[in-house]
Amino acid sequence: MTLVERLDQEVAWRRGEISPEIYFDEELYALEQERIFGSTWIPVGHADMVREPTSYVTNYVGEVPVIILRDPAGTVRGFINRCRHRGNMVCLFDRGKAHNFTCSYHGWTYGLDGSLVGVPRERDLYGPGFHRADWGLEEIRIADFKGLLFASLDKFIAPFEQWLGDDARWWLETFVLGEPVGGLEALPGWHRYRTPGNWKLMAENFIGDNYHVALTHASWFRAAGEMRERGSQAAMITSPLPMRTKVPTYEVTAGFGTGCPLGLGALVTQGEALFERDMEEAKRLGPEVVDWLRYRQDRMEKALIGVDPQPYGFINGLLFPNLGLMGYVSPMIGRHLMLFQPHGTTEHEAWQWTMVERETPEVVREIALQRVYQGQHMAGVIAPDDVENFERVVEAMRTRRAQRLPLNFEVHIDDDGDEFPGLPGNVGKEPSEVNQRQFYRFWLELMTRGGGAVS
Amino acid sequence: MTVLTVEDKYRIEELLRREAHLLDERRFREWLGLFTDDAEYVIPLTEAVQGDVAPAGHPIVKDSKDMLLARVLKDETGFSHAEIPTSMTCHLISNIVVDESPKEDAEVRSAFVVHQARKLRDEAWWVGRRRDLVRRVDDEWRIAHRVITLDTSLLPRGISIFF
Repeated sequence: MTLVERLDQEVAWRRGEISPEIYFDEELYALEQERIFGSTWIPVGHADMVREPTSYVTNYVGEVPVIILRDPAGTVRGFINRCRHRGNMVCLFDRGKAHNFTCSYHGWTYGLDGSLVGVPRERDLYGPGFHRADWGLEEIRIADFKGLLFASLDKFIAPFEQWLGDDARWWLETFVLGEPVGGLEALPGWHRYRTPGNWKLMAENFIGDNYHVALTHASWFRAAGEMRERGSQAAMITSPLPMRTKVPTYEVTAGFGTGCPLGLGALVTQGEALFERDMEEAKRLGPEVVDWLRYRQDRMEKALIGVDPQPYGFINGLLFPNLGLMGYVSPMIGRHLMLFQPHGTTEHEAWQWTMVERETPEVVREIALQRVYQGQHMAGVIAPDDVENFERVVEAMRTRRAQRLPLNFEVHIDDDGDEFPGLPGNVGKEPSEVNQRQFYRFWLELMTRGGGAVS
Repeated sequence: MTVLTVEDKYRIEELLRREAHLLDERRFREWLGLFTDDAEYVIPLTEAVQGDVAPAGHPIVKDSKDMLLARVLKDETGFSHAEIPTSMTCHLISNIVVDESPKEDAEVRSAFVVHQARKLRDEAWWVGRRRDLVRRVDDEWRIAHRVITLDTSLLPRGISIFF
């Protein structure tokens, strides 16, 4: 029996045992491209990346190259980056502005609505049966959720708002996108790096692995402590962390037991100590920062009326399948958004961009950005140690023999219920592996929908 | 603007050559000593863009000397997984030219190939150019500002080494 045919038994998320074969199996990977990356809503960036008409960014949905652009009429659209004539890529840049895309092979040219607008020697070479209208770029569905852009390769997919449950929508709007405090602004430029290991290793890590933090990142906590003793004020060294205030943290699952999961880790509900810490920094930075921080806090508290307890922020998170989130525990940290792009069974790419709250004062902005690129970033002090673990995972488990025994996902398995009914979603103990289990619950549901065979 | 003598140029080139050895011998505290206290160490983002678009919102690295020291301290804890076991590096520095500079005492441009080998079979090749502004401090040449341009827009692995 192939892995795909026995997937139900091998992904026993209810009892916390999952076969490592899911990271290495080629047939499964191909099926994932179809059933996860080909049939769901996949994050591709932010509306600010295509703020002006005729601007575009390129990206991938799974391993399918796409162009996301704003057409002259102002609509964000998505197209597969593939010429209809011989399949060459028609756009080679990371981002830019263009009025059309000309294929470098034979010169077929497409407009920003995807229509085929130029065919060299069309009258000489093609007969009356050739109609340009039949040969435009393939358009894909785009959803703009308060600026976050998602694409789907499935023409018939349900609208994004239905795909996302109410709880996930609330957490996304309120805490990820900062709607109550004026929303976020995306900064230009993809920061990209190759990462060893299947994309799910990183997705699991972000959706709920706060168990690894103390050990994997021990070197940084120790070095930062030593630098603080020396009186260093470098942004990353003074970065706000709930661990330093000793407040309890919780694990959020929006989409618990049903639908698309959004997991958030290190949720802080007693934010007083963190707010105090932010206020101290604000005072050092100037009165306009103090005013902004107070005003921001007031607006947040108003938006949270009726919610009990009122959360302050969280550290890490992931919206299924591959949108990673970091930096939401304080407005003094920039928001790290990461796409974990599949690239074969044993490698993925992290595509990262940065956001800051739109109303952030200039002086905070600079510090907030430093805390992104010095932190969970390809040249930061956090991510390279995670990546190293995944490189070792691949080395240890690449053989079928080494994949024989299951992996353990049992942390708080009998104890992962909701402890805060006054908050949307399931909010419970931390560290936990509840979110990894919820990730695989939904992953398995999608992967086994309509039978086990690759269509 | 300082007028550079042949000896100045020789000593500045020698600084870069000796620096490469310090890095490859993992003598990072001594390496830090080659930078001025107000030094800045920058790796901008490399992108392929078309037309008139806004520049990248932030670089890959922009470290003060404090932050460079923090990275060295991190590895010295013995718990930096990305450097356990330590990377074997070979910094090949070439194409060095030294020019006078209106900003500092001299500007040095160089090209590099850095090979990073890790564990049994993991490795990365890093290729690019550096532009250093160097300053004369107590008759020694020191690096006051370094910009490292990497010839890739998709890094082969996370950066846990210095260039």
